[in-house]
Amino acid sequence: MYEIRFHGRGGQGAVMAAQSLAAAAFREGYYALAFPHFGAERRGAPVLAFARIAEGKIYEKTRVYHPNYVVVLDPVLPELVNVQDGLVEGGMAILNSPLQPDEVQLERSTDTATVDATTVALETLGSPITNSAILGAFAKATGLLKIESVEQGIIDIFGPRIGMDKAERNAKAAAAAYERTTTGTCTGGRSYEASKMWLPDIDELPIGMSTPKTQTDAGLVGIGSFVENHTGSWRTFVPNVDPEKCINCQMCWFYCPDAAVDRGEEVIGFNLDYCKGCGICANVCPVDAIEMRR
Amino acid sequence: MKRVVTGNYAAAYGAKVCKPDVVAAYPITPQTFIVEHISEFVNDGEMDTQFVRMDSEHSAMSACVSASATGVRTFTATASQGLALMHEILFIASAQRLPVVMPVVNRTVAGPIGIWVEYNDTMPQRDTGWLQVYVEDNQEVLDMTIQAFKIAEDHDVLLPMMVNLDAFILSHTVEPVDLIEQEEVDRFLPPYDPIANLLPETPMAVGTFSPPEYIQEVRYQTDVAMRKAEAVIERVNREFAEQFGRDYHGMLEEYRTDDADVILVTLGTVTSTARAVVDRMREAGKKVGIVKLRFFRPYPLEQIREIASRVDAIGFYDRSVSYGVGGPSYIEGRHALYGYTIPVMNFLAGIGGRDVMSEDVELMFDMLLKAAKEGKAEKDIVWIGTRGVNP
Repeated sequence: MYEIRFHGRGGQGAVMAAQSLAAAAFREGYYALAFPHFGAERRGAPVLAFARIAEGKIYEKTRVYHPNYVVVLDPVLPELVNVQDGLVEGGMAILNSPLQPDEVQLERSTDTATVDATTVALETLGSPITNSAILGAFAKATGLLKIESVEQGIIDIFGPRIGMDKAERNAKAAAAAYERTTTGTCTGGRSYEASKMWLPDIDELPIGMSTPKTQTDAGLVGIGSFVENHTGSWRTFVPNVDPEKCINCQMCWFYCPDAAVDRGEEVIGFNLDYCKGCGICANVCPVDAIEMRR
Repeated sequence: MKRVVTGNYAAAYGAKVCKPDVVAAYPITPQTFIVEHISEFVNDGEMDTQFVRMDSEHSAMSACVSASATGVRTFTATASQGLALMHEILFIASAQRLPVVMPVVNRTVAGPIGIWVEYNDTMPQRDTGWLQVYVEDNQEVLDMTIQAFKIAEDHDVLLPMMVNLDAFILSHTVEPVDLIEQEEVDRFLPPYDPIANLLPETPMAVGTFSPPEYIQEVRYQTDVAMRKAEAVIERVNREFAEQFGRDYHGMLEEYRTDDADVILVTLGTVTSTARAVVDRMREAGKKVGIVKLRFFRPYPLEQIREIASRVDAIGFYDRSVSYGVGGPSYIEGRHALYGYTIPVMNFLAGIGGRDVMSEDVELMFDMLLKAAKEGKAEKDIVWIGTRGVNP
């Protein structure tokens, strides 16, 4: 059995990538399953998805803890998260990265494949959604599935949801990424901060979970904890305002789902501690004063 | 001061003398008079409470949860479909450890639509984390409404509590009740001392989205609180008995069980009928007794085991059925008596509000005596008074 873990950010389509991979494997006669890890998911938040591929029926219903392959949709994630956590001996990391495999530093040196999936996606789809492109890299790097099966798997999953035209373009993104994937070995030695999570025992857990602002070893919890818990790192795009064009109408302030637009005297500003780079501000700006930059 | 009042009045009076800060309610037969009496008390200036008329029971319980989270004493009442509509919010009240007190006038949940007594409203709520007591007369309605606040608000418990009274047989029946004076209740019931108040000056995260990393611990805490409630119930019962001279014996009451050959475990008003039957059968030389099961949550598992070890057969009376299995009290009893070899029987009677007659109870005892003598019951689950079905 092959176990695969996908790392992405909410909105990058890690779940559909996992499902497409399962569909591709199914087309080649394998038994396969794919499932998300449902967390407090929001656009831009780090998310996980999982897939298993085997010759016969798969009974394991747990999350994947010891993947044979990890697939990373976001170029910044490997700097923040140890994507090799639990990766088996001889396992491989497949990364969306503009770097060559030997230029990439992770926790340890393992087989690694890279492809600049973001650029492929921008060229093929016109958006930085990398879930289809990265599957082309998977096919090339692992040799487990034929690229034709992966393309068909993408069409199987994407077609009914976003239409056949877009599904076929996503299949093309996978084919393009297949051609541009390089395999090699990454370097090791990157250290990661142990992930901090507040896990109180029953005696410490507030009765009824009624939690005032509380300082814990894992940081602030309870009401107002977002003062410390910055979420700006989820961002791929940064909003830039042209002060010459801005008329300070504050439509962006009104629409920002994260209250990350600051109202200024003359022009608006952005609170990049919380801005997720969703681009709603640029979309609603009546004078096109906001530009999203990578 | 003794007066002849209905069960509904006794519940409303109980609320009045416990001085809840908030009563949020919605009327439903046969409970309507409880909240109507309260609205009269408030209107007449006899009761200083914020009385909130809601648009449904779901809203009423939601309002109670919100009010209770701010650290104030909170009361409501409902029945049947109303309780079913509250179902979703019942879990929230217990998980947030909010000691809301609520009389439930037990009434058939449709279908078929009926307004008479059946326990298919409260029994399905047994896993919501609410304490449940079933009462026998109108005095007990009042006394348990008062005790409920003291039990639920105890810091070892901090769980909501239902006081369950039979539709019409109690709710609309008048009988003499000692309406305890306000000063006496004030002496018995301390002010509510909440552990967390959601107030502007003390903000906190309440009722938050919680991933699997937390919910299992919350469930465990609640389970511990429900188990601890047993000792609190016994203590509050003793305190009440000392002050008012009425001893309800806490979790359950035994009646003429000392040398009994067989015991029937009853619930609610059938207990009263059964007491009279026991007296008559004792006179005829039959060694029968009853256990009045008062609390269904928490459940007196150890006490049931101890009692069963003294007899040759035990029966559980139920006023609702879990289809294909048996009555809820029987299911719980069988669980308690795992490993016991005596006959354990289930008697289903009075479903949908059908009268449970003395002859019905006598039949239950006779069947138990026969099972005791033979060492086994002919059948475990017996429907009594069902047309076309031989018991």
